[in-house]
Amino acid sequence: MRRVITLGILIVINFSLQTTIFGFHDISSISPNLLLILTMSFGLMRGRKEGMLVGFFSGFLVDLFFLDILGPYMFLYMIIGYTNGFFHKNFMIEDVMLPLIIILIDDFVFNMAVYIVGFALYNKLDFSAYFYGIILPEMLATVLLTIIVYKIYVNINRWLKAKALRKEIV
Amino acid sequence: MRYDRRKDISPKYLLLAFSIICVVFLIISYFAGDQLKLVKDITGNIVSPVQQGINKLGIWTDSKVENFKEIQALNEENAALKEEIAMYKTEITNYQNKLSELDELRELYALDESFPEFEKTGARVFAKDSSSFFSVFYIDKGTDDGIKEGMNVLCGEGVAGLVIECHDDYSKVRGIIDDNSSISAKVMPANALCTVEGNLSFYQEGYIIVKNIDKDAKVSLGDKVVTSPISDRYHQGIIIGYVAEISYDTNNLTMTAKLTPAADFTNISEVLIILDEKENLLEEN
Repeated sequence: MRRVITLGILIVINFSLQTTIFGFHDISSISPNLLLILTMSFGLMRGRKEGMLVGFFSGFLVDLFFLDILGPYMFLYMIIGYTNGFFHKNFMIEDVMLPLIIILIDDFVFNMAVYIVGFALYNKLDFSAYFYGIILPEMLATVLLTIIVYKIYVNINRWLKAKALRKEIV
Repeated sequence: MRYDRRKDISPKYLLLAFSIICVVFLIISYFAGDQLKLVKDITGNIVSPVQQGINKLGIWTDSKVENFKEIQALNEENAALKEEIAMYKTEITNYQNKLSELDELRELYALDESFPEFEKTGARVFAKDSSSFFSVFYIDKGTDDGIKEGMNVLCGEGVAGLVIECHDDYSKVRGIIDDNSSISAKVMPANALCTVEGNLSFYQEGYIIVKNIDKDAKVSLGDKVVTSPISDRYHQGIIIGYVAEISYDTNNLTMTAKLTPAADFTNISEVLIILDEKENLLEEN
């Protein structure tokens, strides 16, 4: 239960941060994909199931606030969280490179999916402009922020685990 | 985290389940967008306060960042303005230099205009020609006092004559009214060159003659006639007299004027001799 509440708070905080501070100066400015970092982190640390659920609810918020229909972002985040869960068996707390590589691929896939569905299908085919103008900067921003944020999530996860273990023992 | 087959649902099935939920949501929201409002309201009530709080934080940090940016901009502007000030300062000093130069020149000009500051010495007329109107007179100062030939002699405001002969103790002066005297002069406001010639016969009427005034020159009665810079003997700008009468010459090119001399020759006793010679002045300059 503690885990659910913690994750819920984390999702809300990340969503709020992503929609307010990181995009504050300019609507068109690049904001790092904090929810994707969250989804990736918990998918990697906790496995497919938790990654999938975190992704699902993250996408739910995004859909609810920015799209007319529910579903697309939900599904996208969920799939990314689920696939990231496959790397759980390679997960080590000290490892820094793996999450960075994963988040790089994740963000690329995420943005490509958004581009294909949101732009390419609307005959906006100037891919290089979108890639160099939006996708690449966002990827870099997200990767850079992952270095900091991932450590925090690792510590939160460790704390949650310790609490759960103590509960089990008691 | 390993899942227990007996306890937990397989992630595959969970994914499938949630994917179905996604699709269901998609369909529902697509066909019944109005029903979604309630969900949006509920989640909005939870999320928007957090967003607003973070937004306030964002505005705060943004204002700080803006302040910082403004400081930077102001610094840049300050530097630019300082440069400008330095530029203006040099310009001001330039102008000040020019102003002082102007003042100097103005002083010089004023000096020139009113009366050139010459070293003068007073002398007493001790002898004159026997007639009541004389053109040549003697003064009681000679080469021992530094008098030389060609020096200007003043009487009152105006020019009286020229030293023509120098002796140890006395000098001979020819007045401007002498028939042999001819001074290059100019009529002042019009700045028209002319020649002042002595003519004793005219002087009996109380005038000296001014010849060769350009007929186009705007000469009016009462105009000043002063020595011109062209003259090789007389210093420039010394008053000779005032125009009293103007007449056109028969050649229809020049005018002739009658001049009332500034120096009163009828009662001449004390004269001033300018110790600077014009030639010397020219050499000095």
